[in-house]
Order: sequence, then C-alpha cells, then structure tokens
Amino acid sequence: MTQTDDKPAVQITSLNKWYGAFHVLKEVNLTIPSGSRFVICGPSGSGKSTLIRCLNGLEAYQQGTVTLGTIRLGDNARETALARRQTGMVFQSFNLFPHLTVLSNCTLALRRVPSMPRKEAESLARHFLEKVRIPEQADKYPAQLSGGQQQRVAIARALCMNPRLMLFDEPTSALDPEMVKEVLDVMTGLAHDGMTMICVTHEMGFAREVADQVVFMDQGSIVEQASPSAFFATPNHPRARSFLNTLLH
Amino acid sequence: MQFDVAFALSTVPTILGAIGMTLLVAAVSCVGASAIGFGLELIRRSGGLGGLFVRFLIDFIRATPVLVWLYCLYFILPFYGIRLGALATGMIGLSLYYSGYLAEVFKAGIDAIPNGQAEAARALGIGRMDITIFVIAPQMLRNIAAPMGNYFVSILKATPYLAVLAVPEMLGRAFDIASETYRYAEPLTVAGLIFLGLALLISHAIKRLEIRLLGPTAR
Amino acid sequence: MSMLEIWLGILQGFRVTALVTLYGLVFAIPFGLIFGVAQYLTTGPARFVVTSVIEFWRSSAVIILLFVFYYALPLAGLALSAMTVSAMVLGLNIGGYASQAVRAGLQALDRGQKEAGHALGLSRATILLRIELPQALVAMSPTFINQLIQLVKATSLVSLVTLTDMTFRAKEISQIEYDPVPIYSSLLLAYFIVCYPVALFGRWVERRINPAREARRAV
Ligand SMILES: Nc1ncnc2c1ncn2[C@@H]1O[C@H](COP(=O)(O)OP(=O)(O)OP(=O)(O)O)[C@@H](O)[C@H]1O
Ligand SMILES: [Mg+2]
Repeated sequence: MTQTDDKPAVQITSLNKWYGAFHVLKEVNLTIPSGSRFVICGPSGSGKSTLIRCLNGLEAYQQGTVTLGTIRLGDNARETALARRQTGMVFQSFNLFPHLTVLSNCTLALRRVPSMPRKEAESLARHFLEKVRIPEQADKYPAQLSGGQQQRVAIARALCMNPRLMLFDEPTSALDPEMVKEVLDVMTGLAHDGMTMICVTHEMGFAREVADQVVFMDQGSIVEQASPSAFFATPNHPRARSFLNTLLH
Repeated sequence: MQFDVAFALSTVPTILGAIGMTLLVAAVSCVGASAIGFGLELIRRSGGLGGLFVRFLIDFIRATPVLVWLYCLYFILPFYGIRLGALATGMIGLSLYYSGYLAEVFKAGIDAIPNGQAEAARALGIGRMDITIFVIAPQMLRNIAAPMGNYFVSILKATPYLAVLAVPEMLGRAFDIASETYRYAEPLTVAGLIFLGLALLISHAIKRLEIRLLGPTAR
Repeated sequence: MSMLEIWLGILQGFRVTALVTLYGLVFAIPFGLIFGVAQYLTTGPARFVVTSVIEFWRSSAVIILLFVFYYALPLAGLALSAMTVSAMVLGLNIGGYASQAVRAGLQALDRGQKEAGHALGLSRATILLRIELPQALVAMSPTFINQLIQLVKATSLVSLVTLTDMTFRAKEISQIEYDPVPIYSSLLLAYFIVCYPVALFGRWVERRINPAREARRAV
C-alpha cells in the first residue's frame, strides 16, 4: 500500500450515523497516527462499537469520511476492499468458526482471499499461533478451547492477514477474570511490536500501560480525548469523571 | 374371498423388482428438492421483488397437496407442448414440492447461525460467495441434518404417488398385479410392508449417519 | 367451460373434503393424545408396543395404507364405507405425527413442574391432566395446526378411492372438457384458499405463545 508514515493510519472527519431516527454517532472527528494505540471507553450504548465497526465497513454511515491511510472508504470499491482487508478486527464474542479447526480458522481467509498455497498459509498461521502462545492447539476445534484461548486464536486469525491496523471491541469482557490477563498480554505484545491499535475496552490498567490516547465517548459524541495520565488524573468532563468513579468502585 | 398368504408371497419378487425405481425417484427428488430449496432460500434472503415472490411461492406450495401438483404438471405441461414423460414429470413434481419445505429447513438452519460469523468473515476480507460456501453452509448443514433427514424420508414415502402417473415403481407394480389377477389386497399389503420396512430402515440409517458425521466434532 | 362453472364444480367437492377432514380429526385427536401420553409414561416392553403402533401409522406411506385398508378390510369381514376407511387411515397417520408432538411437548417441560405437583401431594393423574398436558399442548399448538394443514392436504388422496372430493371433481370436469390449465390451477388455488388462512392462524398462535422467541429473532 502506498502509505507513508506522515499520513495518519485513520482519519475520521465529521462522521454522522443514524439508526432510523436515532442519532448514534454525532460529528465524530478523530485522527489516529500510524503506530499509535488508542483506547476508546464510555458508558454502554454510547456508540463505541458502532464507531469502530464503521472503520472496517461492518456498518454504513450517512455523513462524513473515514480515511484509512490514503484510502477513503467508499470512494472506490476495490480500494475499499483492500483497506478493509488490511484492517483486523477482534470481537467480544470471538466469532471463531465452530466447524473449522484452529488452524483452518486462521488459514481460511489466506487461502480464499490472496489464494495462498496451503503449505505457506499453514506455516504463516502456525507462526501467529506461536505468537499468541497456543501453537499446540492448532488441530483442535474452538469448542475445545477456553475463552481466553479462543480469543487469542481470534487475534492470530486477524494477524494472519497482515493488517496495518487492529480493531478490538471489548475483547476481554466475555472472559472469566482469570483469562483476561493472557489476552491483554498478547495485546500488549502487539503494541510493543508497533501495531496501530484501536481498542474499545474498560480495562483501565491496560489503557494506562499501553495507550497513547484515551478517547471518552458519551451519547454518540467524543467528549474527551487525552493521554492516559492526564485522563486518569484529571478528567475534564463531568460525565467522564462519574464514569471513572463507577469503574473504580 | 380370503387373504391368500401364498399368493401374497408370490408377488414379493415382482414388487421388490421395482425397488430400484423407487430408490431412483427418491434419490433424484431429494437432490433436486435440496438444490431448488437452497436456491429459493438464497433468493428469499436477498429480498427485493424476487424475494417477495419466493416467499409467496413457498407459502403456496406448503398450502397445497402434492398430489394436485403432480396432476398439474402431468396435465398442464403437455398442454403447452412440453412432453417429459411420467417419470421425469413425477421427479420434477416431488423436487419442486419438497423444495418449499427444505427452503424452510435451510432458513431455520441459517437463522440459527449467530450474526458474528458472517461479520468475522467479512472483517477478514472474505468475499460474499466464499462466506456462503465456507462459513455459512457448513454450519447450516450441522443445524439442518436432522430435519433434512426427516424430509428425505417424507420424499421416500411420497414416491408411491407417482403410481398415479403410471410410473412403474413398487406401488405401480402392485397395481399391475392387481389388475391382472383381480386380487388387490395381497399385492398392496406386500407393497405397504416393503415400504414400511424401507422407511424405517432408511430413517434409522440417516440417524446413524448423522451421529457418525456430526457426533465427534465437539461444538 | 367458464371459470365460474369450473369453480362451482370444484366447490361441489368441498363438502367431502371438509367431512373427511372432520372425521379424520375424530381419529387423530384421541390417537395423538392417548398414544403420546402413553409413550411418555411407559417404559420397557409396554413402551415398545406403544412405539410400534405409532411407528406403523406414522412411518407407512399414507397412500398405500389407504389402498391396503380399502381393499384388504373387506377380506377380513369388515365392510366399512370409503369415507370411514379414509377418515381412519388419514386420521391415524396424522395422529401418529401428533403423538410425537404430544410426547416431545411433555418431555420438554421443566422437571420442576412435576416435582412441584408431587410436593403439593397431587396424584400422578392430576399432575398429568392439570399441570403437564395443558402446558405441553399450548406449547405445541403451532405444530398441531401444521398437522391439521397436512391432514387437509392429504384428503386429496380420497379421490383415489372414489370419494367425490375437490380433487375428484376437478378430474371429472377435465374429463368432460379437456381444459387442464384453468381446471387444475383452480384446484390448487382452492386448496390454498382453505389451507393458507389456517397457516396464518398458526403463525399468529406461534407469535402469541412465544413472544420472547420472536423478540430474539427481531434483534
Ligand atoms: N442495529 C441497530 N439498530 C438500532 N439501534 C442500534 C443498532 N445497533 C446499535 N444500536 C443502538 O446504538 C447505540 C450505540 O450502540 P453501540 O453498540 O455502538 O454501543 P456501545 O457503546 O458499544 O455499548 P456497549 O458498551 O453496550 O457495547 C445503542 O443505543 C444501541 O441501542
Ligand atoms: Mg459495544
């Protein structure tokens, strides 16, 4: 892709979206530089999922623009598909394909989209399974794994497509507490490798340690954006303050 | 007149001789009904005018008797110069008729797949066609194996309707014997028992196959 | 022949179609209830006998059953009218399916229902009649409505044993005048007009008894 480092990885301008009469996203503007880590938080229903789903075409929007690197979504079908392919996504509910083994979950898109030969696809998949620390589970089915393991497979599956940007939508909130850490560790590792990441999460420890910027959303708008140290020390917006209070207590 | 067991037994080879025809009709109709039913369901899901028409067609099929459909095809097609013969007409009729039922089975099987499956595949950049083939269809098959097996048995049990169109399957053979010998009870009873045995055997086999195919891979 | 004459002709067969359906229900409802409950309550050899009777009626091809009983019963000294034989065969066939719905409905109930009844000191019969059956029958009512439609459609078979139902009348008319397209499409439409409102009613009942499932589907 013709991406230069001075171009932001994601540029969102005046994004507006409605569900019927309901205004879910209101004038959202956000610039995410290449190689940075953004954490999005906010109360339930504030539009966090909707926003990041707009970034890879899972949701349509009515107004505004989303630019990934040099590609403006929707301008050109082929380029949009390319940009989407270079954006990995990890869901709260894992969404692994239950009828395929862990390895096949990772190779399906490689074999179908770039038509990679089986051997090559499998060795690439094994490389990423190694990276998320479950190479030994390659031949099992998703249902035979714990939630934490499944979510790590989902991360490996997304990494196989060599994404330039990774989106996470509450990747740990469906997990039992003892499994949250193994997933966060993998995500922290990714961050240290320089991956551009946008994470919707309420794991404030992760945000403090890994994020460059914390974005706080409420009722469809971004009401505050700050570095983690500033955000946690002195949240400006009253709603951000009360949100942090409920999280901490 | 009395039920003549010896005569009944003597009709067994002749009637059993037509079991190949019965199985052929059943197999072709199962494949045809599944293919058409899946196509109908895909059109229905795609919405629009085609989807609306298919939705009505499926409701229509399900509210009308298979026997009348067979008569319709058998008498109406030749009227428009389409002469397919009784066997082909019958198999087309059973395929069309049961496609309406199988479309409903496919619908339930697809609806049971969480939305996240297609979304995850889209997020990986997999194309629409590939999503249908590699993500949706295999999971759907798992969901529909049991009801589909039931309809396959229903199709088998509907094959004797083709005797009405003079297709020489087992019931047709039994009627041939009856009209030659003027004895109806014996050949018909024999045909009934063979069909009952066949239906029980095949539904048992389908259940075994389901367990073999779907049992081990944990869900 | 005018469209009006065709429709009047088919309408003359409606009385028989309706009668066979009603008499069929007279066989189907008690059979489905008694055998469904019996299969639920019995174990061991008794259950085997109950299941065998159900399977005989359910797994046989209904068209053959109809012919067998029509031609074989007189040999056993039972001279029943075509109407009675038809109602019995079609009714018990549908009753076989209904019994499976009754049993499945009973089995699907939370065990706590029965246990709560026992804890209150109710007799087994009271628990069955006052607690289990009402819930099971309501839960399965969409299935029963579907089976009613199957019964109406199956009545088209009685035209093969000389009863003058709608299908028989259509065939008669088309012998008077070769005009298959309007005659047979009118016949299809006639069954649709009878069955479709029942199907719509079934959907309405399904939404009524299971709003939660509908709501989940809408999400
Ligand atoms: N398909 C839809 N149709 C109509 N409204 C929707 C739809 N999807 C989401 N919404 C509404 O849009 C709003 C934002 O939803 P969204 O899922 O983006 O919230 P969220 O911030 O991710 O919340 P949560 O923390 O609960 O995941 C909510 O009020 C939700 O009810
Ligand atoms: Mg969300």
